[in-house]
Amino acid sequence: MGGAASAKQRSNFIIHLILIAGAVIMVLPFIWMILTSFKTTTEATQIPIKIFPAEPSFRAYADAIKQSSFLHYYANTLMAAFMKTVFPVIFSAMAAFAFARIRFPGSGLCFFLIISVMMVPNPVFYTPQYLMMSNLGLVNTVTALWIASLVSPFATFLLRQFFLGISKELEEAAVLDGCNPFQIFRHIMLPLVSSALVAVVIIQLLWSWNELQWPLIINSSPEKLTLSAGLATLVSMFGTDYPVLMAGAFMAVVPMLVLFFIFQRRFIEGVAFSASKG
Amino acid sequence: MIMRKKSATTAVGALLAASLALTGCGGNSNDGNNANGGASSPEASKAAGGDSQKSVTISYTIWDKNQQPAMEAIADAFTKQNPNIKVKVDVIPWGDYWTKMSAAAPAGTLPDVFWMHGGQFIKYASGQFLEPITDKVQAGEIDLNNYAANLGSIYTLDGQNYGIPKDFDTIGLAYNKELFDQAGIPYPDDTWDYAKLAEVAKQLSQPDKGIYGFGAKLDTQAGYWNDILANGGHIISDDMTKSGYDEPATIEALQARYQMILDKASPTHQQMTDTDAVEMFKSGKLAMIFDGSWDNGNLASSEIIQGKYDWAPLPKGKVKRGNIINGLGNVMSAKGKHKEESWQFLKFLGSKEAADITAQMGAAIPAFNGTQDAWVKSKPELNLKVFIDQAADATPYPSGSKSYPVWFAKESEIMSQAWGGAISVEEGAKKVAEMMNQAIADAK
Amino acid sequence: MNSKSRYAWAYMMIAPTLIGTLVFWFYPAVYSIYLGFLKSENFGLVNHWVGWANYERLFKDAEFWQNLRNTMLYVVLFVPSTIVLSTFFAVLLNAKIKGRSVYRVIYFLPQVTMAAAAAMVWVIIFAQDYGLLNSVLGTHVAWISDKRFAMYALVAVGVWGAIGFNMLLILAGLQGIPRPLYEAAELDGAVGFRKFRSITLPLLTPTLFFTSIVLVIGATQIFDSIYLIIGKTNVALPSVRSLVYAYYQNSFIYYDQNYGAAIVNVLLLINLILTGFQFLMQKKWVVYD
Repeated sequence: MGGAASAKQRSNFIIHLILIAGAVIMVLPFIWMILTSFKTTTEATQIPIKIFPAEPSFRAYADAIKQSSFLHYYANTLMAAFMKTVFPVIFSAMAAFAFARIRFPGSGLCFFLIISVMMVPNPVFYTPQYLMMSNLGLVNTVTALWIASLVSPFATFLLRQFFLGISKELEEAAVLDGCNPFQIFRHIMLPLVSSALVAVVIIQLLWSWNELQWPLIINSSPEKLTLSAGLATLVSMFGTDYPVLMAGAFMAVVPMLVLFFIFQRRFIEGVAFSASKG
Repeated sequence: MIMRKKSATTAVGALLAASLALTGCGGNSNDGNNANGGASSPEASKAAGGDSQKSVTISYTIWDKNQQPAMEAIADAFTKQNPNIKVKVDVIPWGDYWTKMSAAAPAGTLPDVFWMHGGQFIKYASGQFLEPITDKVQAGEIDLNNYAANLGSIYTLDGQNYGIPKDFDTIGLAYNKELFDQAGIPYPDDTWDYAKLAEVAKQLSQPDKGIYGFGAKLDTQAGYWNDILANGGHIISDDMTKSGYDEPATIEALQARYQMILDKASPTHQQMTDTDAVEMFKSGKLAMIFDGSWDNGNLASSEIIQGKYDWAPLPKGKVKRGNIINGLGNVMSAKGKHKEESWQFLKFLGSKEAADITAQMGAAIPAFNGTQDAWVKSKPELNLKVFIDQAADATPYPSGSKSYPVWFAKESEIMSQAWGGAISVEEGAKKVAEMMNQAIADAK
Repeated sequence: MNSKSRYAWAYMMIAPTLIGTLVFWFYPAVYSIYLGFLKSENFGLVNHWVGWANYERLFKDAEFWQNLRNTMLYVVLFVPSTIVLSTFFAVLLNAKIKGRSVYRVIYFLPQVTMAAAAAMVWVIIFAQDYGLLNSVLGTHVAWISDKRFAMYALVAVGVWGAIGFNMLLILAGLQGIPRPLYEAAELDGAVGFRKFRSITLPLLTPTLFFTSIVLVIGATQIFDSIYLIIGKTNVALPSVRSLVYAYYQNSFIYYDQNYGAAIVNVLLLINLILTGFQFLMQKKWVVYD
């Protein structure tokens, strides 16, 4: 009895050791980012390496904000993230419900058309979408950041999986009551899939926040960039003034980190959820 | 369950409100960054000027953030004289500038007024993206003879004028006086040649302390193009039909520069990528570096080398004292929405007043004849005269062909293979020549 | 509610997604294929039909084959590493230990960071002279500018960023395996690794399959880290440059949108082949109950 318990303790200890080692590697870049942001330019590239700044200062943060449109980056990223999260969820949920629960002519074809684009790598879309934005006069606008992503084939696919798994009885009762499909959708189905919706919101949010190539391509003026693209521009401007780059990077990451810490459980549940339906 | 959804919705709603507020006041107004952007809200300007004219804001895009204060000062001066026209100065870093402009051009969204570079000019002019100003020139509103050398003709295509010269720049040798003093070596002067440069660079190098004699970096205009010309080589043939990179004189010059890295008289290409060579000079880690007159303000901003550096002319080569002269121009978009106002601003940019501001603030050497002195005097403790002196014998920047944007973009990637030691310098140069000749052929 | 009006509702509900997808995604994908057959001038305002010319040029281009090789190498290194490590950590987290939720949060952090921000730190961690990695290891290796190591550095960054998400996916899969199966095996005398091999692994295969499909598709599109960490003048660029990076260079820096389109069209084909292959192989190793 005692032997088994301490063997378990030993194995737990080893597990913790490994997990902590991994955790350190996961977190190390963040720590380095923060430390560097408080150093002077020379300290950041000193040989031998200098871990802690001699006189921590906010100089790098001031420079990053002064010389670049950080507030604009935030605003644009927020705007784009909002549009790319809220609308796709609504539109996809509606479509997913229709595909899953209503038999209508052409549903197979329509669904196939929608999810066929999931197979296509993103860069295939960039040039044509860019030309489209050009024709619409939307190059270098905030609108261009999100307009194509008001719909999400991926979310449609995922939510349809979930809708397929709901039992028919509830729905049949509502139909007998004379509800139209949209009412069934809104009042009965949506509440049932709320955790799926949260999952989709989170995935869309994460993806939109981190997106780099599209904002880089479509927008050029500093005040139209997102945080990702803005950071990349910071590199062009500040070259190797690393503390400024780190300050910028940290400021870009903070909102998502804060959101993440507050809503951790939702995030993680959301991911786990999409896994089970994938 | 419902309560949690509510709090999520409120959070989202708050975020949306915040972002709408922030993006809502985007558009034409300035953000906090443009301290003296000179623009306030339309209401304020109406109150000030009592104008019945509608207030207009035009965009002026540049690529050098070091010149931004001077450009904004010019914009301010212009708005004082034209209260109903405000100018918003945007900086797009050089690395992204042409990517963004080439995107904006077919979309019709080029800035109202913007900097043009000789190398890119033909592509934009021939595509009808620039507004011709020929009739205004012929009407005498602008006199192209006011500008130094032949700068007025760079921005002309098929008899049509498109741009007004803004400035010119040449390359100088910046050196760290303190490091020379410590080693007891006399400062560079006009007797120097490239052999002496290499020799002194070796003497001044202390690799174990991270100090090097010369930054033999991978750079064209402020780098080995000068070496090539000094040695009698060519970057491109005079008629722009053939690359000069495979000429023996060119390869020899490139090899000599690369040799400095091998001799440890210069940091390695990798080190100069990790830390920009100019930054190294600014932190006192390099004794000498070639740099352009446009970068003077940047070097002067370093607290570490303040008062401890100066400029000398570039060394002589076997054939001559090579130097590249280039001149930026200001141009107007053909699709701008406020062309009359943009022309007013463009004209102002080409005026003596704008040139004076540019010179006095040390931003660049203005093209307007007679204003260069103010630039030289803008920092009396430095020997800025070397830039003006070298202009007379300098070779114009090898732009002016349709193929330039393509070969220039690819050149650095090929040369960086050589500079990083992956292929030999000779091989790299020959590859560049091949690539350039192909690009020239394709562009016909 | 007759079926006709049910249909009407259905069409209305799928309309936004269907129309949006057709206009902004489906049509562009088709257009990209069309672009590959053209040669444009004047920033895209003038187009000539040139048939297969772009593709001929592509297949004769040594750089294309190198890029293809680089992309495939990245996939082959990145995907298995991520799956193995994510499974490893997921299994550890599945054990009954304290503080699991804390670990989950920490491991998920890289996912929450944007690639641009993370890339910047990695650049200075990998730096040859003043980088943290070299200080810790006592080496003087040029991790991201030496063509022998650059690819591995990129893979490391990729795996670092991907573990969080995939670990959670696999953890969910692990937690879906019914307890009674394990108990039955234990009664039969199976312990530790044997349990893992005979029960856990087979039942995990659907999750692993899904994970690998998603990871492969993502890996073939690698761009962000090359753009941000390696960069244009890096000597090691040819040994890591991916197809998508080449697309970006050709389309937006050399202004040759047609050649760029040809590159991504080939990438599309590769993706279809890889995914199709994985689906075919499914029968060989994925266990469905």
